[in-house]
Amino acid sequence: MSTTDDLSTVDPAAGRGSFGSAPGAAHTGPPATPPSAPSGTTPAASRNPLRDPRDRRLPRVPEPCALVVFGVTGDLSRKKLLPAIYDLANRGLLPADFVLLGFARRDWGDGDFESMAKKAAREHARTEWKDEVWDRLSGNITFVPGAFDDDDAFDELARTLKELSDSHGIKGNAAFYLSIPPAAFPTVLKQMERTGMADNARSGGWRRVVVEKPFGHDLPSALELNRLVDDVFTPQDVFRIDHYLGKETVQNIMALRFANQLFEPVWNSNFVDSVQITMAEDVGIAGRAGFYDATGAARDVLQNHLLQLLALTAMEEPVEFTAEAIQVEKLKVLRAITLPHDLAAYAVRGQYDQGWQAGERVVAYTSEEGVPPDSKTETYAAVRLGIDTRRWAGVPFYMRTGKRLPRRVTEIGVLFKKAPHLPFSQTDTEELGHNQLVIRVQPDEGITLKFGSKVPGSMMEVRDVSMDFLYGEAFTESSPEAYERLILDVLLGDATLFPRNAEVEASWRVIDPLEAFWAGNTPEKYRAGEWGPKKADEMLARDGRDWRRP
Amino acid sequence: MTTLWDTTGTAVVKALAQERRTGGGVTSGLALTLVVVHDEKDTADVEAAVSIASARHPMRVLSVIRHNYEAPVPRLDAEVLIGGRYGPGEAVVLRMYGRLSLHAESVTLPLLAPDAPVVTWWYSSTPELIAHDPIGVFADRRITNVIRDRDPAASLRQRAEDYAPGDTDLTWTVITPWRAALASAFDTVQAECESVTVAGNPADPSAQLLAGWMSSRLGLQVPVEKAEGKYISSVTVLFADGNRIDLTNEGYKLIMRRLGQMDSIAPFPQRRTGDVLAEELRRLDPDETYAEALGAVTGHADLNSRPTTRTHIWFDPALAGSEG
Repeated sequence: MSTTDDLSTVDPAAGRGSFGSAPGAAHTGPPATPPSAPSGTTPAASRNPLRDPRDRRLPRVPEPCALVVFGVTGDLSRKKLLPAIYDLANRGLLPADFVLLGFARRDWGDGDFESMAKKAAREHARTEWKDEVWDRLSGNITFVPGAFDDDDAFDELARTLKELSDSHGIKGNAAFYLSIPPAAFPTVLKQMERTGMADNARSGGWRRVVVEKPFGHDLPSALELNRLVDDVFTPQDVFRIDHYLGKETVQNIMALRFANQLFEPVWNSNFVDSVQITMAEDVGIAGRAGFYDATGAARDVLQNHLLQLLALTAMEEPVEFTAEAIQVEKLKVLRAITLPHDLAAYAVRGQYDQGWQAGERVVAYTSEEGVPPDSKTETYAAVRLGIDTRRWAGVPFYMRTGKRLPRRVTEIGVLFKKAPHLPFSQTDTEELGHNQLVIRVQPDEGITLKFGSKVPGSMMEVRDVSMDFLYGEAFTESSPEAYERLILDVLLGDATLFPRNAEVEASWRVIDPLEAFWAGNTPEKYRAGEWGPKKADEMLARDGRDWRRP
Repeated sequence: MTTLWDTTGTAVVKALAQERRTGGGVTSGLALTLVVVHDEKDTADVEAAVSIASARHPMRVLSVIRHNYEAPVPRLDAEVLIGGRYGPGEAVVLRMYGRLSLHAESVTLPLLAPDAPVVTWWYSSTPELIAHDPIGVFADRRITNVIRDRDPAASLRQRAEDYAPGDTDLTWTVITPWRAALASAFDTVQAECESVTVAGNPADPSAQLLAGWMSSRLGLQVPVEKAEGKYISSVTVLFADGNRIDLTNEGYKLIMRRLGQMDSIAPFPQRRTGDVLAEELRRLDPDETYAEALGAVTGHADLNSRPTTRTHIWFDPALAGSEG
């Protein structure tokens, strides 16, 4: 099974290049004698005498390569991928030899595609628009039209790639981004296998594949999908994008926990009362009725984003900051997750009813276009999870996600136990709550620390105050879009921020029993613009707690 | 904004605290204190550069303008601004006259953000020995700009003589795009490098540093050959297997020519002083790569092993003037 593979095999990509994440591969020897490349790494980058790990001004730039996007005319591609590629080019992070190859069912020439890409990039790019940057990119944009079941089109694609590796010096390196519905995966993967496009050895470079969520809809389908992708590509060349992991604040969780002495000693069940992880959206399902009604909040968000955030919050310290060491620790946590015995009380799902939100009237989920009026799909899910490890035993992890909640916010709240003894009188500390450390993932990326402080005046009164660290304020510059970071990492072969097979499978093992329990029963209604159904509040009240208002 | 005429350091500290309270500023976001030493005539340039850099690095800016040290009566004028000409952060402009100019640290020390690193930037006229300027002695990082000196090439040599880990020069920062392009070009080549030639102005410190960097990394002699333009116009690299790479700077475009391949053209945008300063402030630890490049240019091999701290050497320009 692929799980064992992930634990035992060492990812050769991790040791690649002086800028790779494995310190062992880095060289600091005298410059006059370029050191020989460590075995198992790509020689080009590690033998490059101009690269030096101490030279941190030089950006991490991938080797010459092509990015092949399937479904390049889709929404994600226009709003995220193409702008991210422009932003990378603008920041000088793409190699001089870089080719963007689009594949979609359109009767287009290179020019049509280029102008569509330009429009999309210009509209959604994060960085300043510069024509000279685009002009340079546009010379290297190619389009291959065709359907996924069209053998000729794929032969044409393979031929184009081959030609490009000679004319544009991309050395057979290519990443395939599958921005397509999961149903089309088998066809596209079979085509790649047939044409040998996925074969590292035959292409003379690396071949990687990027897969978007959903990674299946339950454990068997995820296993099936993983098997399918791993058959065609080697497992370490498969990159599953969870765009949450590309966010600066999420990466900062590890810096906060493992680079500081201040937090780790209290990061356990001796001091932590409970953890609340929230991902709230103010929008409805916005035109995705077909997909969403078959999926629901638990599969759409809880299974991937929320469980990944939980894993990063709860994991032990990895032995080193490399992809496989981090995956080992995340996997341990995901496997230690337990569901409550009393699912009826501690797993709540809801569905939004009509209501008012941000001054506008919004319709009920069942009245949304394309949703059947008797739909039992949940738009809200809240569950209490436990983690059976020495560090976390007895600490409840409350997870919740929902649509049409009052505001868009994602945060991790760590609530500490109250002080065991207070020398102040009861009335003095009435307003004192739990000390909290809140990691705000979005928006207003940053960290809040909440603690008690004396109210100025002649009385001894203690109340909660909060201290804010705002990312935007301290490091305005370095907050690239998640997709920028993730695409760059794929091209560099750095898998640190990508969940591997085993993690996806472990996550489904948590979700499947929940879905089985929920199957058939009707979700609780909540008014659009409210913080979820009453039952979710009762769930915490039963434990003597309440939800943070994010 | 608060303006204080003929004031004292203590009054400036109070005015800053007052501005921060009323302006709602908080210390939590401060990453560093930047002390800029410059002349009155350069104020507009410094303001433009600092406002770009401070949008990327939250910092407190202390702008030190030393006027005629021979003025008979020492005097301090100050301006305290939060979110103004110097960008979104806090800034204090200090104009010093008379003998106070030689004791500028007495005003700046109490104004440094608590326990945050201090960076000193001489916009022009770096002291011959940084140890002569107490404002440089207490800084964790020192940024010079030899291109603004009368003889930049001589000034660069002096920077090597006087080097201590933590020093950098902006003529090094401006070549980062060149270095990134070269490193990226080397990624695709397997063969040993045989020779490198930098074409540009042999007297230009940036051209010198680029050659020095290549030389220190490759263990080769890298000459700077005279060519059109006052900066770096091209770099040619020859490899043992007959491969050849030409990188040419043609009007904000970097063109890479290789045998048997299409030319690749990358944008090479002009960076403003503020962008360069912002890059400089990203890292507050010593830049070993710079030290090696500077060492290769000037023939000093020991730059990285020099002591990191300097001791202030009393230097009175009035006396130096009468001796010289």
